[in-house]
Amino acid sequence: MDTTLAAVERALSEQREAGVQRTSVMTHLVWAPPDWLKAAERTLAGLSERHPSRTVLLTPAPRRKDGIDAVVDVRRFRVKGSSRSIASEVVKLTLKGKRAKAPGSIAMPLLITDLPVFCRWRGEPAWDSAELDQLVTVVERLVVDSSEWKGLPGSYERLGELFDRVAVSDIAWTRTESWRARVAALWPGLRRAELLEVTGPLPDALLLAGWLRSRLRRKVELMHRTGRTVRRVVVDGTEVEPPSGPAPSPSDLLSQQLDVFGRDPIYEAAVSAAG
Amino acid sequence: MVVFGASGDLTARKIFPALYALAVRRLLPETFGVVGVARTEQTTRQFAAQMRAAVKQYARDPFDDAVWGELATGLRYVATDFADDEGQDEVVAALQELDEKRGTSGNRVYYLAVPPAAFETIVNELGQRRDRTTGWTRLIVEKPFGHDRVSARTLNETILRCFVENEVFRIDHYLGKETVQNMLALRFANGIFEPIWNRQFIDHVQITVAETMGVEGRAAFYEQAGAIRDIFQNHLLQLVALTAMEPPIDFTADSVRNEKVKVLRSLHTPGPKSVVRGQYGAGLVEGEEVPGYREEPGVDPESETESFVSAKLYVDNWRWADTPFYVRAGKRLARRETTIAIQFQRAPHPPFAEIAGDGLRPNVLLIHVQPDEGVSLAIGAKVPGQGMSIRTVHMDFLYGGAFRTGLPEAYERLILDAMLGDATLFTRADEVDEQWALVDTIVAAWRRDRPVFPNYAAGTWGPPSAGELIQRDGRSWRRH
Repeated sequence: MDTTLAAVERALSEQREAGVQRTSVMTHLVWAPPDWLKAAERTLAGLSERHPSRTVLLTPAPRRKDGIDAVVDVRRFRVKGSSRSIASEVVKLTLKGKRAKAPGSIAMPLLITDLPVFCRWRGEPAWDSAELDQLVTVVERLVVDSSEWKGLPGSYERLGELFDRVAVSDIAWTRTESWRARVAALWPGLRRAELLEVTGPLPDALLLAGWLRSRLRRKVELMHRTGRTVRRVVVDGTEVEPPSGPAPSPSDLLSQQLDVFGRDPIYEAAVSAAG
Repeated sequence: MVVFGASGDLTARKIFPALYALAVRRLLPETFGVVGVARTEQTTRQFAAQMRAAVKQYARDPFDDAVWGELATGLRYVATDFADDEGQDEVVAALQELDEKRGTSGNRVYYLAVPPAAFETIVNELGQRRDRTTGWTRLIVEKPFGHDRVSARTLNETILRCFVENEVFRIDHYLGKETVQNMLALRFANGIFEPIWNRQFIDHVQITVAETMGVEGRAAFYEQAGAIRDIFQNHLLQLVALTAMEPPIDFTADSVRNEKVKVLRSLHTPGPKSVVRGQYGAGLVEGEEVPGYREEPGVDPESETESFVSAKLYVDNWRWADTPFYVRAGKRLARRETTIAIQFQRAPHPPFAEIAGDGLRPNVLLIHVQPDEGVSLAIGAKVPGQGMSIRTVHMDFLYGGAFRTGLPEAYERLILDAMLGDATLFTRADEVDEQWALVDTIVAAWRRDRPVFPNYAAGTWGPPSAGELIQRDGRSWRRH
């Protein structure tokens, strides 16, 4: 039902339990348009215990009558090997009508004072929108997953325009980490690489190619075959040994990003060279 | 208790809900009665019905007919102009009736919940009619206490012609807040903080009193007062005093206030460039488009009243010399927040500087006055896992999580203290005087130029010059 941010603050305070500590590490904002809401909630379910903090889930509903709907939930987790518990606060806000265009000013009062703010933007950012502009101003780190985008490789150019305003992480980039380690192991033969063949999702392939180009400072041609996950990487005809072990879950990948501070110049260079 | 201004907002929103909360907890004397005095023509029955509705709406406890019934039995209302002799006779008659029927024994709390212009008339009337032979008397005076140093001194002289200082209780409701009082507990009940509470270990202090609201129907008052008289002169300087004061020898009113006044006396700003004023233009607050200050109802379209003030202050004493106190207060800011942040010096040789990067910041002790009432200490901690990654985390003490009793409203504590004659949480005449001395200096400098207003958008953290004020010293305001 329609509510105010003061009521949300009160609800958070009332739901705190005696003796259950809120461990404050960061505020985690999630911008999740309705189509992405379920996926965002699934990822969150696997995340809170590892990143106990305040999560504010923002869902725009611009066609509804102006207002804010809120659900407040203080989740309790048992600390392993101890009888103590910790709490993580989850606030789900539906921003209705004009409020959908003003997420920055709505999120601001709910940020935990003086702690870093990360924003996971689900789907492709609306590049010229007020929403993106405002959230970028409020947060320290923007976490995207370029495998959720349709406009590649052109969208990497738009992403690059944000690098001087906010530190950016890309879950697609994190997914390529184990493959990058395998490719790097080809050094020094890798030094003169000219052709990279990747069977897997397009963003992973583009980022691997961008990374190789920017690290080697030379042209590397990309030959891409579609696949659900990266299955095969070949450099100048040399097959790269696939990484071992299970692929990390979406929660693992996001969790990893929430530990990173500051800009990642290697990623930024890879994005610039990905197109 | 006699409440002058009984038909006003303060009585409905704060005074009666506070009295009701005290009644619920059996903290009021059994022989308690209230006489409401105001110009509005109404009967006692009508007044009681209004206050009943106010308690239902604003009290923090669920409504209980029995508790209200008990409180309402001692309720009277007198409709009169404050200068009207006949009306004042009626007040005296109502009080005598309560003395007889409820045994209030001549004990009186006079609460001036009226605009400052009415103070003098009421105080003089009370002075002429007060019975000094039976019971005790308290006079509670709401802020603003004067408009500048001269008017505050005049008002004090008027009051002190009829009352003695220990009968006068000047309310600054911030002092009634639990978290503000916790500042004293934190500093003086814990051995670990006091040794490092000085210029050697503290880099600087930041105090923020931020509101998201606009003038909300108080335009007539605010146009005259501005942020400097509404917040800076009282709440903000009191927070500075509590943060910087020396340990009092005990927790009696005079010991605490003696230490506070020393701080207020030693405060100065290094110059006009160390004070910034601002006025909001239109913008977005909590997702809503809001008008600029000059477009608010009742505000002069060319108003030069400031809705924001920030300053760099110094406390000239051995403990704090050269340690800046950056303070800011304003309306229509990005979030509602009152915090005191004590930023400690950086570690002298941090071996992790390169690894930690942006993740590691200096230790900060944050006292959250509102919201999230409590205390946080920001410390650097190793992120679990391989390697040596360090980030800043908070150790929190949150009132809501530690104590299950709800926090009392400031007015509950202050009204009760006034009845008990404990003035520790009220400001003394000399404190008010020193506060005005600093404000007068700032306002005098402002008169020399015309501000270019508006200079910040509603929903932001104030004008860019406020950021420059602190950036010039190589520091920055806390984030969020």
